[in-house]
Amino acid sequence: MERDSEFDPAGGDATGISLPRLPLPELDEPGAIARYLCGEGLPGEFPFLSSAYPEMYLDPEDGSKPQEEPTRLFAGLGTAEETNARFHLLTKSQKSHRLSTAFDGPTLYGMDSDADGVFGKIGEGGVAVDTVEDMERLFDGFDLSDPQTSVSMTINGPAPTIMAMYVAAAKRRFGPNVEKVLRGTVQADILKEVQGQNEVLFPVASSLRFLLDMMEYSVSHFPKWYPISISGYHISQAGATPVQQAAYTLSNGFSYADMMREQGVAVDVFAPRLSFFFDCGVDVEFIALSRVCRKIWAIGMREVFGGDNRSQLLKMHTQTSGRSLVSAEFKNNLTRTALEMMMAYMNATNSCHSNSADEPFTTPSEEYVKLASHGQSILLEESGLFRHMMNGLSGSPGMKAVERAVESEILKEFAEIERLGGVLGAMEHRYQRSQIQAASYRYEQQILSGERRVIGLNRYADSNDAELPSVVRVTDAVKLKQLERVRAFKMKNKEAAAEALDGLSQVVENGGNVFAQLVETVEVCSLGQITERLQRDVGIFRPMI
Amino acid sequence: MGCSDLASEPLRILTAVPLCDGHDSAVMAVNQALILQGYEVVYLGYHRSVQDIVRAAIQEDVVAVGISSYNGGHLEFFREVVELLEVKGRCDIGVFGGGGGTITPADVVLMKSYGVDEIFLAGTSFEFIDERLRELYGGGRDRAECELEIANDDRGLAMVLSSVGSLEIDRKKWVRGSAKVIGFTGPGGAGKSTLIDEWVRGYLADHPVGRVAILTHDPSSMERGGLLADRASMVYAQDDRVFMRSLATRGRQGGFAPSTEVCLRVLASVAAGFDHVLVETVGTGQEALPFENSVIDTKVLVLHPEYGARVQLQKILMMDSADVVVLNKTDWASAARAVEEVAHQISLSNEGEVRLYQTQASEHGNVGVTELRKDLLG
Repeated sequence: MERDSEFDPAGGDATGISLPRLPLPELDEPGAIARYLCGEGLPGEFPFLSSAYPEMYLDPEDGSKPQEEPTRLFAGLGTAEETNARFHLLTKSQKSHRLSTAFDGPTLYGMDSDADGVFGKIGEGGVAVDTVEDMERLFDGFDLSDPQTSVSMTINGPAPTIMAMYVAAAKRRFGPNVEKVLRGTVQADILKEVQGQNEVLFPVASSLRFLLDMMEYSVSHFPKWYPISISGYHISQAGATPVQQAAYTLSNGFSYADMMREQGVAVDVFAPRLSFFFDCGVDVEFIALSRVCRKIWAIGMREVFGGDNRSQLLKMHTQTSGRSLVSAEFKNNLTRTALEMMMAYMNATNSCHSNSADEPFTTPSEEYVKLASHGQSILLEESGLFRHMMNGLSGSPGMKAVERAVESEILKEFAEIERLGGVLGAMEHRYQRSQIQAASYRYEQQILSGERRVIGLNRYADSNDAELPSVVRVTDAVKLKQLERVRAFKMKNKEAAAEALDGLSQVVENGGNVFAQLVETVEVCSLGQITERLQRDVGIFRPMI
Repeated sequence: MGCSDLASEPLRILTAVPLCDGHDSAVMAVNQALILQGYEVVYLGYHRSVQDIVRAAIQEDVVAVGISSYNGGHLEFFREVVELLEVKGRCDIGVFGGGGGTITPADVVLMKSYGVDEIFLAGTSFEFIDERLRELYGGGRDRAECELEIANDDRGLAMVLSSVGSLEIDRKKWVRGSAKVIGFTGPGGAGKSTLIDEWVRGYLADHPVGRVAILTHDPSSMERGGLLADRASMVYAQDDRVFMRSLATRGRQGGFAPSTEVCLRVLASVAAGFDHVLVETVGTGQEALPFENSVIDTKVLVLHPEYGARVQLQKILMMDSADVVVLNKTDWASAARAVEEVAHQISLSNEGEVRLYQTQASEHGNVGVTELRKDLLG
């Protein structure tokens, strides 16, 4: 612990006071020191309560500027060209390109833009991707082989097909060897879809098979890629309490680890390729929630799975809470998001997305996207809070109280899930769903009764504030363009597609790796064609209420 | 209208979330609130097409359809629902909705101009929703008196089912047809709905013609409102060749509703013209004997492996009167032992008359379900 004596001469900006880069509690009794090291650990050391890495957001000691800003901004609107233009706008002054993609409803449900009844939803809330050609257009002008480029795709039900399109598009542009250097992640978390977000295309067993095929392929072929982002965000957005979010997400993570182990993949091969995604809202639990998650994961991976140091690390992306934002007096959302960002960084998140204040009523406009992005820079670069000193609030009595309470509640949830037969057994009993729904109902009731205070909505509400800025909508012309484009693709590849789909069915039938086949299939088949064929082969998911 | 008194009957509405939208927490909260206010809510689930919604609204003969939309495209989607209801001759069924901030006040004006009755935006209280729905739909329906005649389509059949209520019908008018009536009962969680849906999937795939009717039951809460949600998970049953009707038990014990018997007679009639009528009880306890009903040809008891303990089986009276016992969820670890226990119990109480099938209905194309279907069709 001699790092306690390392002082940063540039310390406080205003007065030039000296601050330790890593302040530590003043402990002299060996028992207390041991408890500290085992229960919390130094930043970057087991059980990683403080942080996954020792330095996180600290300014480099030599005074140079930090390499990579951990901001990740979500974009997706209209067609691939429009989203591509948004990506270029967002990243134009950044050395590193972190491209986070939102998809439209039809894509999230594995349907093509020319399917019956989806016209109104083409390009709404995210980009429409029907084919490998759309995927090429989406990342046009970005060097996908560059270590500074990373891509994140928020898609789950059809994740293997969309990932196959990404790989195929990257190979078309940068050659077959690009797969070794592809960086980024695809969400692909099917368990949380069944529990909360509802974007499931195939029965659970088949969905899991397609996912595991992709993960297995990914860890052996794309060593820099994260083939799953185990997500609490949507569980939380569907109404879960902070503790439920943490408990269900962690238990899902352990489930995936278990399944990969059963596939015969060594823990130290797959575990470092798992990453997590959490929601951070305004409730007090969030001051320590992710810290506790890191600790529980580290213990589980070390003690149960026998993973090494890298396998024990829970790496997380955090997004501020969309649910906490409201349309009423929407500019207050800037403050809510700022507060949530602050808590996310206090939890030492590895990256963060801050929501735009106009999100409750529209696809974010450029103005508010920029404010959200600059909010992060103000917090990390302008403010001195995180630049000079690690772990500022660690060990405070309040923080520790929240940590203990949250940890104990998460473990109670684990016990209940175990009693119901593990994650899959509990799912069959609708356990996670019914718990989330009950919490959601309580939350809404609390807002209506005023017990949960929402400024501008049920408190200090000003009835004159009805003016909302314009809403971003996709025009019919853009929708038509996308629809015609996928039709043309299908026309062009008609015969080849029939053959490719039969080839895919054969692999499904004979138990081969479906993902490896999909990388070929997407060359001539659209997303909708592939979804329909797979649903014919393995069935349609029967939703749970 | 007809012969039942609307004022004393719960309002029946259908709720759903549009195609490519999985945001169901708001609609579930509204469902819950309305049930407590005494509504019967037929819940179709999320990611539902205009066709599925309109078909269900007509078959269930609801007073209104409520759609909860969160990820855009609502201008087109609501309009298509209103238009298709009109094309199908049921423009009297109301359409209302709600959603997140993606629906702007300007959108609401536009949607009302093409026939949407009301849009509830975020922050609306449940009390207000209830009041407004009663105002809109509580006064009986503005449609022609419905005769106890069957119009030659689902629309007419659905209205007849609403009209018969719990009354006895003229048996001469509803002559029993060749439809085979199969009853499914069993404890909650045995997987009856999934089993029926997988049965229907196989039936539709194997038989290019022919229609099936399904009558499902859900308990009323406090003898009044109820959530009728079987459609939400029965995806293959949402098909033009399937007529499905959801009934609430409305205080009746034993797994059925007051109008079940009459509804079954109508559905099994020559006039209705179905090949098969499948009826599912609510999840029953061990003592229930729901199938005293004379209309039912084959009685199927569905169990899951956790019911396999011999001491419990002895208490299930249905074991004595069932024609077929299905042990579902054979993928569970406890299945092998449960099969032995059930087979033993059957041999004790039925002199070998009862057929036993093992199924895993959640598996696509499950062999056990196919065998069961062939048996029941035979």
